[in-house]
Amino acid sequence: MVDASSAYPDQEEKVKITRRRFTLGVLLAAGAGALGSLLSLVKVLAPEMKGGGYVATVGPGDQLVYAQGSRQGSHLRASEFQVGDAVLAYPQGKTGNQANIVQLIRLKETEFRPPIRQELTDQGFVAYSAVCTHLGCIVSWVKSPQDPAPSYTECFCHNSLFDPARGAKVIGGPAPIPLAQIGVKVSKDGILVFTSGFSGPIGPQV
Amino acid sequence: MIFQWFDERLELKKFKDKFLTKAFPTHPSFLFGEIALFSFITLVVTGIFLGLFYEPSIREVSLFGAMVPAAYASAVRIDLLPLGMVIRRIHHWSAMIMIAAILTHLARIYFTSAYRKPREVNWLIGLVLLAMTMGAAFTGYLLPYSQFSVTATSIAYYISKSVPWVGGWISRLLFAGEFPADGTVPRFFFLHVMVIPAVLVAMIGLHLLILVKQKHTEPAANKKRKGAWDGRRLVGIPVWPEQSLISLSLCFFLLFVVVLMATYIPLNPIETYGPPSPGTSVMRPDWYFLPIYGFLKLVPGDLSFTIAGAKITPETIGGVLFPGLLGLILAAIPFLDRVSEPQNYIENPLHRPLMTSLGIGGGMFLCMTTLAGYIDVLHIAPASMAIYTFFVTMAVWVISYLLLRLYSREGKKGNHVKT
Repeated sequence: MVDASSAYPDQEEKVKITRRRFTLGVLLAAGAGALGSLLSLVKVLAPEMKGGGYVATVGPGDQLVYAQGSRQGSHLRASEFQVGDAVLAYPQGKTGNQANIVQLIRLKETEFRPPIRQELTDQGFVAYSAVCTHLGCIVSWVKSPQDPAPSYTECFCHNSLFDPARGAKVIGGPAPIPLAQIGVKVSKDGILVFTSGFSGPIGPQV
Repeated sequence: MIFQWFDERLELKKFKDKFLTKAFPTHPSFLFGEIALFSFITLVVTGIFLGLFYEPSIREVSLFGAMVPAAYASAVRIDLLPLGMVIRRIHHWSAMIMIAAILTHLARIYFTSAYRKPREVNWLIGLVLLAMTMGAAFTGYLLPYSQFSVTATSIAYYISKSVPWVGGWISRLLFAGEFPADGTVPRFFFLHVMVIPAVLVAMIGLHLLILVKQKHTEPAANKKRKGAWDGRRLVGIPVWPEQSLISLSLCFFLLFVVVLMATYIPLNPIETYGPPSPGTSVMRPDWYFLPIYGFLKLVPGDLSFTIAGAKITPETIGGVLFPGLLGLILAAIPFLDRVSEPQNYIENPLHRPLMTSLGIGGGMFLCMTTLAGYIDVLHIAPASMAIYTFFVTMAVWVISYLLLRLYSREGKKGNHVKT
């Protein structure tokens, strides 16, 4: 080998490069292997939650209860609401799932305009998902102090505005789609119950 | 005696000659980086105190008869410790001061063109330090697990989810599942107290090492005094003892100010926010996130489209593309404003009309987007605010450019006459 390489200087050059290349190749292969083995962690580090995200479990027949305040957990009664009142509510027994939270509003039935779905309302009661379709904050009811001025639903996080009389259509701000409507009615004993699931997608549209 | 003992073993004299004689410029604008460093030290020390009492868990525990997440309960208990609330506020105020100091430091580097060759690498490391500090601040938001914490983190969760292509995976990686997952608080706690500080310490070390190696930039006026001081290039005072005394005084003064602020100015009142509950009231993030927060408000809701399989929503534009673009622009600056020879003298910002006016315009833009965070109290429609933002930014840029052009021309004429 030594003789041969000295006899052919070109080959000596080649032999040197090959050895260096070999070492480099081993290093790269080992490095790639080491890094590649870490790829198995990728899935572990980003766990999927079973049934996670915004999957609402509210359905027809569920009774509405207050979501917060001193009366949290007790039934919503139709008699407690004047026109222009609104409240956050959960379906009874399903309060652990934030996707179920709704905003119940009592409006004048004569104010309803398309694309509201009248068949999902009862005696002026209308309900929408309370999870803002922008970035998931819970919306609030902004009651106008003077009557002719319209009240509206606002998300205080980035000021998305929705008009509940028109199917929670977006009337301002960054929300991409309306809040999903959900059917409600007043039962015989005066408490509010859901009559359907959400009519559209809820929560942030990402 | 003791010094000699160590010196015989560690050759401290050599170390002193090598590092402690480094010349430090005397201009006070060179101290912003130090303020950031001292704030970081304050954060570590107060953080250790808080970490000894904090419980990173959202299991429900009883606090004064109410069931609340353990993280929230432990934060409230910290506030009830003697001086506990003051320590928590010092921690929070120091974070704000640290970010403010980094941004001011960045502005100083930008306006004096100290980012140019050979200092591009340190500019980039500085940006990583800024990003990491904001990351530390953000992960810290969640830890008290108040209503504010959860709302802010939830917003960030959906923003990360709106990243094109890989949003689902990135959001689950950062938040340990779909927020609010049980694993989110432990993961954020570990990032906040271990991973990010470790990266920060390493990066600060690198930042300073490169600084010592490359030396500071110096005022152009020093050109004339070249060689006047001990035959060295940089005119300034040595790190030991002169600069160290200045730094130490600055450190103590900073501590004094921050303790005073923490004692008298309330901040992040978790007891007022309460534990997580339905309903979201008006909440604004700390000031350094306001430009992103404001920009999110300006993006109209119907601006969504799909491009190459990537779903671009208003959230993506406001929360991902906007800050991403800001970061990219900052990172690109030393590679756009290039020089062929290494530059060790700073330039007078008044003599760089284009770069200086771009910096002023950029600053104005951030001010306007911050203002956009307040359109709800200012009663300005998002569309109008977007227009104001555009025109005010452009106007400030153009006007400052024209004024600087005029000034630097005059200045050059003046110089010419003198020499």
